[in-house]
Amino acid sequence: MSASLPSGVHFSSHAAERALVRTGPQRLWLAAFLLACVAMPWVGGDYLLGVLTLAGVTLVAVLGLQITVGLAGQLNLGQSAFVGVGAFVAAAGAGQGWSLWLCIPAAAFAAGVVSVLFGLPAVRIKGFYLALTTIAAQIMFPIVMIRLPDRWFGGTAGLPVDPPVVFGVAADTPRAIYWLVLAVVALAFLGAANLGRSRAGRAFRAMRDNDIASSVIGVDLARTKILAFFAGAFYAGISGALYAYYVRYVSTDQFTLWLSVWYVGMLIVGGLHTPLGAVLGVLAITALHEGVHAIGAKALVLLSGISNVSGGTVFALTNVVLGGVIVLMLLFEPLGLAHRWALLKAAYRIWPYPRG
Amino acid sequence: MELLQTLINGVLTGLVYGVVALSFVVIYRASRIVNLAQGQVVMASAFFVWLFVLALEWPLWAGLPAALGASIALGALIERAVFRRLIGQPVFSVVMASIGLLILIQGAAQLVFGAQTRPFPQILPAGAWQVGPLLLNKALLIGALLTLAVGEALHRFFTHTRAGLRLAAVAEDHVTALSLGVSVRQATSIAWMLGTALAMLAAVILLSGTVLGLQAAEIGLRALPVALLGGLESVRGASLAGVLVGVGEALASRFLDPITAGAASLVFPYVLMILVLLLRPQGLFGWRKIERL
Repeated sequence: MSASLPSGVHFSSHAAERALVRTGPQRLWLAAFLLACVAMPWVGGDYLLGVLTLAGVTLVAVLGLQITVGLAGQLNLGQSAFVGVGAFVAAAGAGQGWSLWLCIPAAAFAAGVVSVLFGLPAVRIKGFYLALTTIAAQIMFPIVMIRLPDRWFGGTAGLPVDPPVVFGVAADTPRAIYWLVLAVVALAFLGAANLGRSRAGRAFRAMRDNDIASSVIGVDLARTKILAFFAGAFYAGISGALYAYYVRYVSTDQFTLWLSVWYVGMLIVGGLHTPLGAVLGVLAITALHEGVHAIGAKALVLLSGISNVSGGTVFALTNVVLGGVIVLMLLFEPLGLAHRWALLKAAYRIWPYPRG
Repeated sequence: MELLQTLINGVLTGLVYGVVALSFVVIYRASRIVNLAQGQVVMASAFFVWLFVLALEWPLWAGLPAALGASIALGALIERAVFRRLIGQPVFSVVMASIGLLILIQGAAQLVFGAQTRPFPQILPAGAWQVGPLLLNKALLIGALLTLAVGEALHRFFTHTRAGLRLAAVAEDHVTALSLGVSVRQATSIAWMLGTALAMLAAVILLSGTVLGLQAAEIGLRALPVALLGGLESVRGASLAGVLVGVGEALASRFLDPITAGAASLVFPYVLMILVLLLRPQGLFGWRKIERL
């Protein structure tokens, strides 16, 4: 779909054709979009700022999941545990007085290393079996974490986090954190988009499409699977570090199996096969969640007459809606919103001719 | 003697895992679907029992069959609405659909029944038998015997009847089964009805005389390592693996928990699961699949 370009656009080199941004108007739109993202805090209110910051943090984790699940075809239902590992490492590092530049990479590598531990069975197994080891990671994470010595990761009490210092400026306002998250998201997206076009990315895709065939043409399956795991969890670690800086407090009950399921749900709704799908999915589910929060709670009050709608009810309602959406998407639009978007773009470009 | 008591408790608890694992296996064995929402199905069956027996105050002889009927209807509904449409789709879609169902059922149960716990009827006798110096929990012992009997009956069904062998063909490969004239649709719907009926049995054994809450669904993910250890295709394996995991957990809780602040017995099944996947992915009695290009 994305192959169809506006008429009159030709490339004279391979590099130009493979570029992420290929035409002048695309460049313009991208610049406008980035500008809008940067300017958002002055326009939107505090509520929108908070929602978007959290969406950005989530997006980094989902981009990682897109690499493991969408690109490499390895199911991962423990992403939130890896986010948790990143968050705890970043929080502990910040507690030791480490700077942002040390905390985020440390969190990323720590999450990556832990994920390799659970990705090792991938050498022998494939498909849904891998989902089971990642579920094991998810279940074991809080059990192990709260029993580690308190001075490592705070035990059951969790860890408070001081605001980070970026280029000598303390990022202690919601706006500063938003810009920090925005910058990391932009880098993460660029990294994910480029990974798909690299040697490793092509190996991932070959393995996803047919693992036996890809091993015949020289893809080292064990290595590639573990690499895919590492890459996805690396992103999760970064997301965790950002989460720690944003919420300023980490504890194990923030990183549940539900969150892992939500991450995968976002990816399915958005579309597995491109980083754009991750973006669309996170935005759609975030909007859905906020919508359920605002409207669903009121509707429940009207329907059932119960006046005290707890956070638990909203959580349950979101679960119902998201579970329903996941199942419906799998049944009716397995390629996700990104596919719809591509169709829409193609239809716009070849208008007034009907879609082929 | 105390050690013997630990072992016996382990065996009895393990067979409770065994019956849930059995419901995983039956669904997989006949439709090649690993239903990760099985714990939620167990919880839903338990809520049906509560609804008919305690809330509507039907007598047990009417309430239990009604709850069983409701559970089977739920299974048929899930199969008809979701998994039938996914026949022939990649494993990924099927697993993700079961995950979607997992949060859907969990959320729906929380909306309808609330997050509070409630009593669960005493269906199996309470208390324990004293055999010499040992105590045998009556409910668990009866449940264990039921599990073994049902497991053996299902094993017979799958290996010695025409209908059961047809289900095995579906588990082997959907496309091959279809081309040999085996109805995959029929197989999946039988599988789901059997699976939900077993989930109901599991709910009764697990919860009889205790409290029922949303956390009842956790049994699903606890039983997953058991199903995997036994081999997802092996009906007999589920009970044996249940015993192994139960005993291992009991021993870990007796000898390792004091050192690890209670983590060892909680983590044991999952560590075991990872080891099984690393060393013998098909489980103890599962089918070894050879793949060709």
